[in-house]
Amino acid sequence: MSATLPVDAAPAGRSPWRDARVRFMRHRAAVASVFILALIALACVFGPMLLPNAFDSVDWNLMSAPPTRAGWHLFGTDELGRDLLVRTLIGGRISLLVGVLATLVSVTIGVVWGAVAGFAGGRVDSAMMRIVDMAYAVPYLLIAILVVTVFGRDILLVVAAIAAFSWLDMARVVRGQTLSIKSREFVEAARAIGVPTWRIIFQHVVPNLMGVVVIYTSIVVPGVILSESVLSFLGLGVQEPMTSWGVLIHDGAAVMGATPWMILFPAAALSITLYCANFIGDGLRDALDPKDR
Amino acid sequence: MITRHKPSLARALATLALAVAPCALVQAAVIPPGTVLSARQEMVRNNGSEPESLDPAYIESVPAGEIDRDLFEGLTSTDHHSNVVPGVAESWMQVDPTTWVFKLRKNATWSNGTPVTAEDFVYSWRRFLDPKTAAKIATTYAVYLANGMEVVNGKKPVTALGVRAIDAQTLEVRTAGPVPFLPAVVSVAQYGPQPKAVVEKFGKDWTKPGNIVSNGAYVLKDWQVNSKVVVEKNPGYWDAANVQLTRVTFLCVEDGNADLKLYQSGEEDYLYQLPPGSYNAIKAQYPKEVRIGPLLGLRFYALNNEDPLLKDLRVRKALSMVIDRNILSEKVTADGQAPLYGLAVKGLGSIQQTRYDWADWPMDKRVAEARKLLADAGVKPGTKLKFTYNNSDYHKKMAIFAASEWKTKLGLDTEMDSLEFKVLIRKRHDGDFQVARHGWVATFNDATLFLALIQCGSEVNDQRSCNRKADELIVQGNAATDPAKREALLTQAARIAMDDYPIIPLLQYSVPRLIKPWVGGYDEANGMDRYRSKDFYIIKH
Amino acid sequence: MWAYVVRRLLVTIPTVLAVVTLCYVLLHLTPGGPFDAERKVSDAVLANLQAKYHLDLPLWKQYLYYLRDLLHGDLGASFRYADWSVNDLVARALPVSLAIGGTAMAVAAVLGVALGIVAALRQNSAVDIGVMLVANIGSVLPSFVLGPVLVLAFAILLPLLPSGGWDDFAPRYMILPIALLTLINVSTIGRIMRGSLIEVLSSNFIRTARAKGLPMRIVVMRHALRPALLPVVSIIGPLAISSITSAIVTESWFSIPGLGKLIVNGASDRDYTLVLGLVVLVTVMAVLLNLLVDLAYAWLDPKIRY
Repeated sequence: MSATLPVDAAPAGRSPWRDARVRFMRHRAAVASVFILALIALACVFGPMLLPNAFDSVDWNLMSAPPTRAGWHLFGTDELGRDLLVRTLIGGRISLLVGVLATLVSVTIGVVWGAVAGFAGGRVDSAMMRIVDMAYAVPYLLIAILVVTVFGRDILLVVAAIAAFSWLDMARVVRGQTLSIKSREFVEAARAIGVPTWRIIFQHVVPNLMGVVVIYTSIVVPGVILSESVLSFLGLGVQEPMTSWGVLIHDGAAVMGATPWMILFPAAALSITLYCANFIGDGLRDALDPKDR
Repeated sequence: MITRHKPSLARALATLALAVAPCALVQAAVIPPGTVLSARQEMVRNNGSEPESLDPAYIESVPAGEIDRDLFEGLTSTDHHSNVVPGVAESWMQVDPTTWVFKLRKNATWSNGTPVTAEDFVYSWRRFLDPKTAAKIATTYAVYLANGMEVVNGKKPVTALGVRAIDAQTLEVRTAGPVPFLPAVVSVAQYGPQPKAVVEKFGKDWTKPGNIVSNGAYVLKDWQVNSKVVVEKNPGYWDAANVQLTRVTFLCVEDGNADLKLYQSGEEDYLYQLPPGSYNAIKAQYPKEVRIGPLLGLRFYALNNEDPLLKDLRVRKALSMVIDRNILSEKVTADGQAPLYGLAVKGLGSIQQTRYDWADWPMDKRVAEARKLLADAGVKPGTKLKFTYNNSDYHKKMAIFAASEWKTKLGLDTEMDSLEFKVLIRKRHDGDFQVARHGWVATFNDATLFLALIQCGSEVNDQRSCNRKADELIVQGNAATDPAKREALLTQAARIAMDDYPIIPLLQYSVPRLIKPWVGGYDEANGMDRYRSKDFYIIKH
Repeated sequence: MWAYVVRRLLVTIPTVLAVVTLCYVLLHLTPGGPFDAERKVSDAVLANLQAKYHLDLPLWKQYLYYLRDLLHGDLGASFRYADWSVNDLVARALPVSLAIGGTAMAVAAVLGVALGIVAALRQNSAVDIGVMLVANIGSVLPSFVLGPVLVLAFAILLPLLPSGGWDDFAPRYMILPIALLTLINVSTIGRIMRGSLIEVLSSNFIRTARAKGLPMRIVVMRHALRPALLPVVSIIGPLAISSITSAIVTESWFSIPGLGKLIVNGASDRDYTLVLGLVVLVTVMAVLLNLLVDLAYAWLDPKIRY
């Protein structure tokens, strides 16, 4: 006769994603940032549809007007009498779109490039990094002019032109980290038991890179958005009457002394978005840190 | 042409007339009696951009010309009222319609002591127009001298050029056809003298400080690319007694806002040009230091006369009629530019301004008429129009205004194409545009410079317009010896040409600037906007 | 290791050649040329201009001429600045950009590392958030906003410094531009430092050191700092290059005669020789700097071997 001991249910497994979420929540600024960013994105997407003013309707009688409740000109008007609230929101669409797309493209290319180069070492590393060196030396402006003149103006081209130069830094950073990671014990161990290289790279090296990659991604984002404004200013990015935060800020900077609201609102929108991106980046890094148990 | 002049009204007409004996025109700084001068006569002046060269043969831009007119004095010069005054030449005479004789003064010397002779001018002009020198702007000025174009095009040797030294102090100039305004032509910096021995000795480096030798009121002291050019008073200059400023620093700041900051923090005395859109605010802030005056320049839109949509005159007329130039002037640009309804700008020599008859109609009437014209031409609302301009905040604003006028009043959809400047001019030259932004500023004060814009086959006629009758009248006008007759003929030519609506005239340029109150010698009525440093002086402050 | 250094230096030559060739082709493909002007140039003059600059030859021949001159250290004549050779222009602009960009990099590195350390040590606290807020000013506001703000604050409202200009390396003209560039770079360095240090601080050997009872200060300075600096060092190379060669907004706003201005003007004026000369310069600088960075890796992480 044997009394069966109660068998405890297997302890609930701790999913690493749940851990990550918990760690993320600990970073208060990051959590707040997620909400703020979501709010901004929603405003940019839906706001212009709900507001009465069009983003390109000029009003010669209301040029450079300060913010006022009348006519829903809550952010004032620009030098051509166009409503700045709507323009800031429409501009946000472009800036956010370019920011996200260009960042995604450049991060992907950069991580893959850097990880492969760092891990392969030797001649392959040398060759790949020399290509990066070469890409640095090419004048960005020249390529941008050429691309636009040959292929015409297109928002996707702007994304491509910006991404083409933003992946370089990421590749360097990732390669540096990879060099360090690949000489660690767990990688030696994996190699010793015969794990195929590609698996080592993607299952062992890359997760350990995530911290730096995430941080650097949130550094790339402002750079990308600002590059877009420089390109637009040179006539290579968004074309009038479409606008972006970068263009609005650039136009507003010129008249900062006399009509400060023209720069205040788009600059605030950009800064808040970028601060949020930064904090989210820091939070994600904390969350995805494989060593923080 | 982006060179700048301001009109000097009737005076210009008088002085540009035939035989000019030297009047008692003041040569340098006119100091009002009772002015107390500062002990320190130095000035820092923003010149707008880095000079492409200081060699008279190679300069093209206005800023480079300003520095060169201090270093090299030509046969004639222009003062701060934009009057033509004697330079190295103390007198001149037009002996027949195409021949002039200039008498050089005996005490004109180079800064190394050697005298300036007529031979210097022969050498310099030949070098300037020699195709081997490859001076890009040679064609612009060659057209006035006998055999000038042939020499530039390599068809005749340089010795065939219509300039000859009769003796050390006498220079004979033969022109290709009558050029009543020749004294104004030879005052430009490109026709200045070059020191042959120095040029041959140092080659490309002859303009560097230490090598360069000049005959003007100033010598080159220092030249730091993209930073500053410093000139100092030339003690051997024949009029040195009347030159007040001992040292002038030319800055090359292109950005209007950066320029403004330098002025506000006291780093410079003379601002090149106010940033666009800031005029009203600055006028309120610095009422006594703001100076503004009209420039001899025309802002316009070139219309491609060969384009399928625009080749119908009615379409071109409609586009021009509906633009409200008053709003453009008062609200959009808001910096004192006057609306224009014709080719000639105010103060331009030898021509009267013309004005479209509809310029005074109320806008409703203009719009109704324009719509009718478009309907007659078969252009429906919703038709697309391509507008090309170079990227700059200023042009962008004007372009948006025009697009909005065409949309709201005519229902046309304008596609905006903002390009880099070099690409824009390429497209204009190649005819690859429908409507393109354009501007034209005079290098010296004569109507022919603007008439060139609409002459058949002219190399600056990007819009490819042609009116044979107008061309004929221009030729007749240039052959006329009576200035009043010339003026009448040229005015008539402009009127006829503009009735074809080849371009859309918009505004006359203005120059809004800031100048410190202790700088004397500036004249807002100077429509050419050319100042020699010897015309300025510093008041005690 | 010296063999490695020599190998890297030798590789500079093909790298420069490859970049120059690429840029050469790109320049000639870009629409608009150096002689495009408001007025059309007469054919005879154009022919002579092209002959003077070898532009009438087939592209590959021009290229060979250029290479031959390059090997003699002659970067050619500038189109835009007609009285000067490219060698002259670069020789004058480089020290200026080096002084401003180099100093800014050094200051930003020190400040950024310090701020990153403080933030990492107080992770998730108010101090962390506060420090990061301040450090990030330079990355959320574009330089064409920060520049005017700096000038407004320190040159106009408080007339302490000139609002721009240059006078032969006089320090007072250098302070604001260096401040601007530093602000912009400190945020990148600070954030990477923070993230990297946090990671390192949670690794085993640090835990061991702390378990041994070592004070935090020693733990950080002697043990954690070196490996944590790796990503920071990775980024210093590119940041330094861009601070020195692409500080165009800073240079325009403060009217500084540096390399950024030459590059931008060269590209927009299609000044072939100037652009190519600058490309050569930037390539050589990039290669050298990256070599230094890679050598620094080996010093920071003894397990990295070349």
